[in-house]
Amino acid sequence: MLVESIISNGLAVGAVYALIGISYNVMFAASRVFSFTAGSVGMLGGVFGSIFIAKMGMPVVAGFLLTLLLGAILGVITEFVAVRPVLKSLDQHLYVLSTLAVALMIQQLTAIYFSTDAVPFPRVIPIEAGIVDQKFWLPILACIVTILGLEYLFRHTLIGRAFLAIAEDTYAARALGLPEVGLRMASYALAGMISVLAGFAAGQLLFASLANGPLLNFYGFVPVALGGMGSNRGAVIGGLALGLFQQTANYFFGGIFSSVAVFIVFIVVLLVRPEGLAGAATARRV
Amino acid sequence: MKAKQRRITRRGLLKGSAATAAATLAPGVYMPAIANTDPIQIGYLPAFTGPSSSTGIGIGRGTELAVQEINAAGGIKGRKIEMVMRDTQSDPTKAVNAAAELTRRHKVAVMWGPLNSGETAAAIQNIARDGVPHIHPCWVDTLTDPKKYPMAFRNGPSNQQVGIGANHYVVNVSKAKKVAIVSDTTGYGTASLDAYTPMLKKIGGDVVYSASVDANNPDLKPELLRMRLGGAEAIMPWSVNAGFLARIINTRAELNWDVPIVGQTTLGSGQTKALLAKPEYWEKVYPNNFRNLSYDAQGQLPPQSVEFVERLRKAKVDFADTLLWWVALGYDGPRLIAEALREAGTAPADITAYWSTKVKSWKGVYGTITWSADNRDGFQQEEIIMVQANSLKDGAFKLAPGYA
Repeated sequence: MLVESIISNGLAVGAVYALIGISYNVMFAASRVFSFTAGSVGMLGGVFGSIFIAKMGMPVVAGFLLTLLLGAILGVITEFVAVRPVLKSLDQHLYVLSTLAVALMIQQLTAIYFSTDAVPFPRVIPIEAGIVDQKFWLPILACIVTILGLEYLFRHTLIGRAFLAIAEDTYAARALGLPEVGLRMASYALAGMISVLAGFAAGQLLFASLANGPLLNFYGFVPVALGGMGSNRGAVIGGLALGLFQQTANYFFGGIFSSVAVFIVFIVVLLVRPEGLAGAATARRV
Repeated sequence: MKAKQRRITRRGLLKGSAATAAATLAPGVYMPAIANTDPIQIGYLPAFTGPSSSTGIGIGRGTELAVQEINAAGGIKGRKIEMVMRDTQSDPTKAVNAAAELTRRHKVAVMWGPLNSGETAAAIQNIARDGVPHIHPCWVDTLTDPKKYPMAFRNGPSNQQVGIGANHYVVNVSKAKKVAIVSDTTGYGTASLDAYTPMLKKIGGDVVYSASVDANNPDLKPELLRMRLGGAEAIMPWSVNAGFLARIINTRAELNWDVPIVGQTTLGSGQTKALLAKPEYWEKVYPNNFRNLSYDAQGQLPPQSVEFVERLRKAKVDFADTLLWWVALGYDGPRLIAEALREAGTAPADITAYWSTKVKSWKGVYGTITWSADNRDGFQQEEIIMVQANSLKDGAFKLAPGYA
């Protein structure tokens, strides 16, 4: 029971962290900005799902698609409100403030218009709990689908290659005539969709709760730092490792000490490999 | 005839002014007696919107009924009472500003509320500084203090009393000796854990597990396994987080463990119920509540509460969608205030003196109150009991098994 519980819970929460990490990366690749809205938008995935399906009685598919659409819109709003105005002064890191401000606004509006309490999330697939319940495998499935989707997008489509070009060298891509602003907005829309997908898939595990915003923002950033900034593969490995380690620490240390254990490991990894486990050290001109 | 001209001298002017002043200052002698029929203003700070609004709305219904009844019966010696209400929106900052407005601009005679601990903690110092007599129902222990807040009185239990009530049930009524205590990591959670653990040991409880846990942790199985390994015969969770409490209840069921869960009121809330994987998981869950407003084994409320419910029905006050004890608490507050105004007048010192010396075994619908100069926590310990979470009917619960 012990190993089974660590693996099912660890992989499930790890997959959620990985998805939020990928969302951070998609935004970072397009703009060199870490938008701290990823977790708050992820929290809204659960909130929207709960409102559309449980409260308004929409079919699951319709509720899910509407959630994705709203995630994309929120991503575009983030780009327009919090990122675009500060892009010219990236070195001053003003995006930290502007994206945190948007995240704070999302949290406050959710508290006012939704609830500060956890609210139930409906069962997405109407089947009885089997050996492993859907609340555990849905986030893992969402993570696998996202990775495969991104791989296909970046390797086999023109727009995906354009994304990569922008991520590689913005100036060169612009010189080639690529629509930088449009691609950046599309990246943010994609990141918003990935974030709400994380919250939606984890709705049964984490409930639809305001408290998930800061939690996802924080733990979602750890795989980015662990795996290497901009590396989706690193984010997935980092996220799953984080989830498994967190659950193992939860069993062996218990209570709040598991969080302490997680951050000790996090700091040690960053001291040993500051570029992250899957990241490459970048050369710096001196 | 030559008219005699009178000169205005300084001495004459002084004499005239003195007579005018005397006439003004001694109305009983120089002015006809006119009864004051202006309404007596009472400051009232409920949270009708925001996260604490469910409590505020329930308490508000009782308050409104009490004020209607007091005024319909002639008010206070011919003067109506008027609640000067401000919605705090569940925001402590707004509560502080509203309290200042009521005490300074409106010069209210008494303050009723704020009605939740966070707002009262923020506003109580200002209300005390403005010298306004004050009743609130909030549980946080530090919200009464005869020295710091000499005019503040509580018409609800303190957290200390709630803990004593729960511990008494676990150890003395349900006869569980090995107990697991768990809290979330909030100030309320950790303070409760620290306060209740020694209290439990003192009455013979063996605390086999005690920890604060992150309320957002989705997997509480390790914690419950530790409790079970320790041989816990009861779990006492201290948290107001419905998600955390629901996870404890769900995990207990997943482990096929039927140990009773005894603790905070939120265990019996609709939010907690909504988060349970199956409704039957609510079996053997006992939140704290109040004897006067609980059904006995035969499903009957105490006589005074039956009469109160009848009165609510007659006045068309809805209570099925809220908790009866919230409505009763709201009903008792204005009645305690009205009694002091009627018997002691509107001078702040007289009101406080009345509450300190005359409120002895005051029979409210919510609870029996006894205040003194040194004790502003008037709720009676024996009226704090545990109830069956899955027995909610018309806003009230059935007593937990084992009570006489």
